[in-house]
Amino acid sequence: MDIGFSPDEARFREECREWLNANVPSEKRPINAAEAIEFDKAWQRQLFDAGWAGINWPREYGGRGLSIVQQVIWLEEYAKAHAPWIGANFVGINHGGPTLILNASEEQKAWHLPRILKGESIWCQGFSEPGAGSDLAGIRTHGRIEGDELIVNGSKIWTSFAHVADWQELVLRTEEGSRRHAGLSWVICDMHTPGISVRPIRKMSGQTEFAEVFYDDVRIPLANVVGGLGNGWKVAMSTLSFERGTGFIADQVKQSQEIEELIATARANGTIADDRIADDLAQMRAEVAAVRAMTYRNISEVMRTGQPGPEASVIRLFTSELGQRLERMAVRLKGAAMLDFRYGDDDDVSDYLRGFAATIAGGSAQIQRDIIGERLLGLPKSR
Amino acid sequence: MDLTPNDDQIALVSATADWCRDHMAIEDARSRSDDLWQQIDAMGWTAMTGPEMELDHATEALAFAELGRFLAPVALLSSAVAARWESRQGRIALAVTEGNMLRVLDGSDASTALGVVDRRAMLFDLPAPLSARSSLDPTVTVACFDEPLSAHAIADARAALHLQLVAAAFAVGCADAARDMAAGYAVIREQFERPIGWFQAIKHMCADMAVRAAVARSQLYYAACALDSGADEAAFHVAAAKRLADQAALENSRANIQVHGGIGMTDEALPHLCLKRAHLLQFVVPAERSALLVIA
Repeated sequence: MDIGFSPDEARFREECREWLNANVPSEKRPINAAEAIEFDKAWQRQLFDAGWAGINWPREYGGRGLSIVQQVIWLEEYAKAHAPWIGANFVGINHGGPTLILNASEEQKAWHLPRILKGESIWCQGFSEPGAGSDLAGIRTHGRIEGDELIVNGSKIWTSFAHVADWQELVLRTEEGSRRHAGLSWVICDMHTPGISVRPIRKMSGQTEFAEVFYDDVRIPLANVVGGLGNGWKVAMSTLSFERGTGFIADQVKQSQEIEELIATARANGTIADDRIADDLAQMRAEVAAVRAMTYRNISEVMRTGQPGPEASVIRLFTSELGQRLERMAVRLKGAAMLDFRYGDDDDVSDYLRGFAATIAGGSAQIQRDIIGERLLGLPKSR
Repeated sequence: MDLTPNDDQIALVSATADWCRDHMAIEDARSRSDDLWQQIDAMGWTAMTGPEMELDHATEALAFAELGRFLAPVALLSSAVAARWESRQGRIALAVTEGNMLRVLDGSDASTALGVVDRRAMLFDLPAPLSARSSLDPTVTVACFDEPLSAHAIADARAALHLQLVAAAFAVGCADAARDMAAGYAVIREQFERPIGWFQAIKHMCADMAVRAAVARSQLYYAACALDSGADEAAFHVAAAKRLADQAALENSRANIQVHGGIGMTDEALPHLCLKRAHLLQFVVPAERSALLVIA
């Protein structure tokens, strides 16, 4: 075991650092949705043109075809340079794209992947429904096969970036009368198709980043099914296990910046003299170090065996809860100035309020604990 | 960069676990044979950290986590440090200091104890015979001294970090043991006509135990590698490992008793052995807040 990087990797890190230092935008990502989307697209295009998009994606689809270790080095430098959150490109880069790489046909990959990397197509996720949250297999949105099309009816909810997305990874029931995990399909849905309406939902932080999506006789070509009709559950799980594996490395490395900033703030404003605050900061600094160690361990496992180890779900759970503790500390250090927050502000308070999503989205902390109990410890399945 | 054990290390870990299961089972922790130390010695675990063995800290941490899982004698910690930095052989007792009080743990047949005072590893000369008695941890004896013993510091400052690292490894093993005991019991114990592990209230407690153990183990690996590479921030990483491992050992041991219910509170059952060991390890080179907040 060792924590050193090879000379090639060290050179790569230097390259990343140089480019980021010269190119990270000096202005903040706008908070207004319409401006934010233009900002996200332009930044993604800039990354692509300079060869920094899809570092570990296959070369034939516009990626760099480099190792996951290089991807981590890039993300570490990205966080250190305070480069902007990838925003609306999040779903395409972290969910849709990786799912297509694993499951899609050549035509589907050749058309979609380069557009995702260039920031030309924004993706959203259509998994949760009003009646299917943690119990995702309760999906009711359905598609009736008619000729070479699916006629889709139903609704999805908590769909991030639905109001600005061009494409959606839509999981729906394509077999009439099927139940639970059977009879589902994963399809590429064009969000500009007639019959789709989007109702944006405002979060308690003030941002309108997610929405409810309604489908009223929406026609989707059968050619847009990914991984075969009826295999939707398996395809969707390949994305979720990716999320629980390496999809959150960016968040993990960002935490090591955040804790240093919190300690610096507490020293500057004198709150570090409070023993409880000093103790909590010390504790979180140890925990952030452990997140990096877990990330490196997981990546080593991927390098060795080709897939994340069974403890990947542990990282996901621990990172999401640690992130919330960090956000909570940030508002604690602010003191009563927290009360000055207004909708439209983009600061520690909005991060704290948005941060509740970390233990709800993509499988709640409770679902993660079920998975850890059942798959890691062999406890009986409760569902 | 690679934080997974290689084939040799995996083989060492499984050989260690096999031997411990056969010769040092937790079930027998309260009545260990008098020649257990000789057996451990004969197997090479006391000499393996000697300078001529050139054993890296990463491999050492893996082996000590396994030994810790079986609540191995705590004198293995102090003996490992004395072997590496002072080429000492044989049994070196573990010293724990608090104020003017020095406690010697596992001191029978030892003429020297090793502990950390003000971030320096110290060797203490022990009087003979030592009047040791039983301690909180039934596998460990304690002798108390309120008068200073003659002592000298180990020159190399890394010796203190070394003791902190192997103690963290023992705590990681203890956290694993408590987690596995709880999960094992949750599968076989039935209430309301089903295994108690079916209930999320129990399942989620066990999941949290798995999280704490995995977090602590990962940081242990990183800290061991940092010490191996002589990195400047090794002191921080070892302190972080110790803090997280101590918490994992103590919190998992407590949760294990709760999962066991009534039987978990008894002397007869095993969970209290992990709890008592976890409390003991907290006094072995505890992670100081200042070490965790040090500016890189």
